[in-house]
Amino acid sequence: MDFELSQDHKVLRDSVREFVEKEIKPIAMQIDEEHMIPDALVNKMAEMGFLGSYLPEEYDGAGLDMLSYAIVVEEVSKACGSSGVLISAHTSLACGPIYTFGTEAQKKKWLPALNTGKVIGCFLLTEPDAGSDAGAISTTYRREGDEFVINGSKIFITNGGYRGTGVLFATSDKSLKHRGVSAFIIDLNSPGVEILKNEKKLGIRGSYTTAFALDSVRIPAENLLGQEGQGFKIAMDTLNGGRIGIASQALGIAEGAFERALAYSKERKQFDHPICELQAIQFKLADMYTRIETSKLMTYKAACLKDAKKNYTAESAMCKMLASEAATYVTKEAIQIHGGYGFICDYEVERMFRDAKITEIYEGTNEVQRVVISKMLLS
Amino acid sequence: MKILVCIKQVPDMESRFRPNGEKTWYDESDLAFRMNEYDEYAVEQAVQLKEQLGGEPEITVLSIGPERTVEAIKKALAMGGDRAVHIRDDRYYQKDPWQIASMIASYAKGEAFDLIFTGMQSQDRGSAQVGVIVAELLGLSCATTLVGFSYDGGTITVKRELEGGIKGVAKLKLPALVTCQLGLNTPRYPTLPNIMKAKKKEIASLTPAELSGEAELTATAAIYPPAKKGGGLVLEGDIGVQVDRLMGILKEKTAVLR
Repeated sequence: MDFELSQDHKVLRDSVREFVEKEIKPIAMQIDEEHMIPDALVNKMAEMGFLGSYLPEEYDGAGLDMLSYAIVVEEVSKACGSSGVLISAHTSLACGPIYTFGTEAQKKKWLPALNTGKVIGCFLLTEPDAGSDAGAISTTYRREGDEFVINGSKIFITNGGYRGTGVLFATSDKSLKHRGVSAFIIDLNSPGVEILKNEKKLGIRGSYTTAFALDSVRIPAENLLGQEGQGFKIAMDTLNGGRIGIASQALGIAEGAFERALAYSKERKQFDHPICELQAIQFKLADMYTRIETSKLMTYKAACLKDAKKNYTAESAMCKMLASEAATYVTKEAIQIHGGYGFICDYEVERMFRDAKITEIYEGTNEVQRVVISKMLLS
Repeated sequence: MKILVCIKQVPDMESRFRPNGEKTWYDESDLAFRMNEYDEYAVEQAVQLKEQLGGEPEITVLSIGPERTVEAIKKALAMGGDRAVHIRDDRYYQKDPWQIASMIASYAKGEAFDLIFTGMQSQDRGSAQVGVIVAELLGLSCATTLVGFSYDGGTITVKRELEGGIKGVAKLKLPALVTCQLGLNTPRYPTLPNIMKAKKKEIASLTPAELSGEAELTATAAIYPPAKKGGGLVLEGDIGVQVDRLMGILKEKTAVLR
């Protein structure tokens, strides 16, 4: 058993790290304050290949593996959780299901623009009354000739504000519960698609979280993803992979906060000594680092299992749970180590603390992750 | 056109440096490694020239060092190198610039490169000798510490920084060797698709014994950290007095106020 990254993964990590240090870190605070990732940065990340890392080269992806993708999201999130989730939601939740469940024609039509970041992808599942209970969605579809007509609303859609390409879930008959759900590929510039608002949030403020109204939106029949009635399975399978992305985002946020806390503890002097010489601070650092390393091991393991085409359901749930809880814990302790300065926006751990919380909630709350893990144990 | 770029993998300058047990090199267990900064300018300039010439030149990347050196080689390939030669040498740090340059020249002799790019020096050893010795051994024209480079019809024009901020311009006929300095260009980031493509590029492996048996001319006797000095001078008292004393010290002991 070898826990070292391969040379190729190290080259990738160092290259991404260099990019992040120079291009993202200096503007992370601005992204938070302005509630927006500048288009110039989105374009640079696209040029770097961050938006199609594990998709095959034949669809203009970079052709790398899931572990590479996890490393990209982690490194980006060390500096900026908003940019991390942009990549994660786009890749895992839009490129992912189109690649896994799409026909060859659908892949050829939609993936190249997504993988090269010409359009940004999103995943339209959540509704006001359907969150963890995803089978309860009430956005409907009906067939009319060569088209499907969609009516309903979607909320909390990460990347929705870009109006790019979405993977949309709707039901033919709500009483059928999850068996009535189908998945569609939707161009969010279609007539009838209305952005109600981009939400104001506690954290990841640079990331769009969008509410949509869908009023008789007509989608060509060829945009049906998978079979009719297969939507719930597509959603669950997609979220399964997506959790590796969110775990990587959470891991990155935790590492970013830890790096700052460690450095600060060496610089900050009280009682004539750096505070890192106090055992109270040393124990915090040890606990923080241990949670980070544990989360990293599980996240990389889940990614490697997916690369090896083995079952990774439990591992992806565990890594998402571990890393998100590490992120909220580590960012909280990072503020504590900074004392009053940590509470001030300029020291950035304040932002990381706010950015961390969502990772315990989205792509399956941690309560849902525990359901997934215990189901595996008891089935 | 055949281009050679010589690169070195060096410790990240933010690492903790300690002498090793033999006291002839650093203890590598605490070190993180990366491509020598000046060599990144060399790779970038080679790739820019290749782009200028419509992709015609073939860029070979060469590096000497242990297995981990492949990471730096792969980065250079992901930046745009076409193929690489890794001279695998776990005891590279015991070799002096003459031996390193002899190995490179021995490899390059048979390849007839038109242009060789190197960094102006390595960040760890900093001798700034390897490039010029290679040029001498191969009989190439040579210019060092470039901050500007252009190529037109078999002639290269280089800009160099001289003392006092003065710039100098030189023209060289190919074949030539140039060493690259900060300010020459901004090295590109390897993109993910190019990292993927680099995986398929050839990395030939050679051993030092296949190239040169030159003996060292300069043996490292010892490396050591400087002796710890006292805690410096702490100025105390009224702020005006402190300022006067500081001004006095700066005038007497430094050049900053002259």
